[in-house]
Amino acid sequence: MPIGSEPGRGGRAEDRALLERVRRGDTEGAAELFERYAPALLRFTGRMLSDRSLAEEVTQEVFVKVITRASQYDGRAEVASWLFAIAANACRDRRRRDRRAPVVPIDALPEPAARGEGVEHALIDREKRDAVRRALADLSEEQREALVLARYHGLPYAEIASILGISVGAVKTRIFRAVETLKARFSEGATSWNAAN
Amino acid sequence: MECRELNERLVDRLTGQIRPEAEEELALHLAACAGCAAQAPALERAWEFLGEDSGLDATPEFRRRSRLLIEEEMLRMRVREFRPKPRALRWVAQAAAILVAAGIGYFAASRRVPLAAAAVSRATAASPLPDFESNPRLSNLSYQPVTPDGRVGIGFDVTTRHTVEGSPSDPEVARLLAYLLSRNTENSGEKSRAIELVQQHYGAGVASASPDIVNALTSTLRKDPNPGVRKKAADALSSMRMTPEIRSAFLEALHGDRNPAVRLVAIESLAAAAKESPADPKTIQSLRERAFDPSENGFVRARAASALKTMEF
Repeated sequence: MPIGSEPGRGGRAEDRALLERVRRGDTEGAAELFERYAPALLRFTGRMLSDRSLAEEVTQEVFVKVITRASQYDGRAEVASWLFAIAANACRDRRRRDRRAPVVPIDALPEPAARGEGVEHALIDREKRDAVRRALADLSEEQREALVLARYHGLPYAEIASILGISVGAVKTRIFRAVETLKARFSEGATSWNAAN
Repeated sequence: MECRELNERLVDRLTGQIRPEAEEELALHLAACAGCAAQAPALERAWEFLGEDSGLDATPEFRRRSRLLIEEEMLRMRVREFRPKPRALRWVAQAAAILVAAGIGYFAASRRVPLAAAAVSRATAASPLPDFESNPRLSNLSYQPVTPDGRVGIGFDVTTRHTVEGSPSDPEVARLLAYLLSRNTENSGEKSRAIELVQQHYGAGVASASPDIVNALTSTLRKDPNPGVRKKAADALSSMRMTPEIRSAFLEALHGDRNPAVRLVAIESLAAAAKESPADPKTIQSLRERAFDPSENGFVRARAASALKTMEF
């Protein structure tokens, strides 16, 4: 997905207005905020937790926290950053709390069958997708957070730093190391996704 | 640029955050260094390959469940303000009121004031009430704050200005409040204020509300089109001693009121009453229906279920 095109990233003023509506108890405002950010947050939590049901649960948890803590938003970060920060913390908490959750349960991420282009093509696509998920799951949590926010959500280093509570330099280092690991993993052979199997 | 900086520069470029001069340096370096030129495509492929996974989609079912959860959470936020007063506070208030009453009694007796005179001083009507049978429209309503000894003041215009002062348990004041609750309904704000006044007085459960007031409140709970007013009526009723009439109004609200906050007050009140005396079968049945109705609001269902758990059958 091209940088900056992540859906669900609304205008700053609109986001703040929505959050203000949530703070005032406007259910529709909360629902709009959910519609705007849930898809992106679900993709983020999915990549962090490698499990659809956990990811859905944690994404819902994020919105419940947003509702109960709306009055604590101090406006220093963008609403989107605030949401991703809550999501990142929630994923870390969940991983710590639920040690039973396997790191790489690829089968726990069922996707709808591929459409149209034949079974073989669908299988190849699925193999590639699973290889990516396995590779991401093998990264350390810190590297994965930074890489996912940069690669899939198109966030600038400074915003990722604000979300993760680290310096811009640390963000760059984490992304750089993650990409290095992935490069080694994907660089062998013509069908590079097989390297990840 | 040096070879060891290659990957960092490449990542900057891939994330779209490379400075123009750095990009230029990178291009020059790649043109001049065969080793780096051979390595760069592998890193770019790895980055590109990550795009093979588009991530999880938010399914309609996930959206539906989440919307329900959000609605419940928002309701929960609002309900926090609506909860009836905790029973412990009610007991403290009752005890305080009894002490105050005893003190006033002792003071009155020691001063040897005739009983009749004391009663008159507590329930003075500054001007007589209008004839309510003719259904007059009371306008320009004004309420004076409740005094420490529980007296209220209500001013209104009919053809002339009237001001009635006294305790809400005084018959004239009670009649006026009941009239305001039941028939003077053009303005929800005025009605709400009248309900608040009643609740402030009867909230401690010291005095039994006049039947007129109970009737007016139950009627408001059943019929008022404004959910906020119905909620206030339910709150006021929940602060009174449970009677069959109040219970019946709550059971109707539990079944038929469209507003979940009103249904919640009904549940809280029925559950609180069941702690003092065993719940009647109708109450248990109604709570059971709410707890197991899949179309019911989740928070109402949960509250009905937990109310049932605390009840003695």
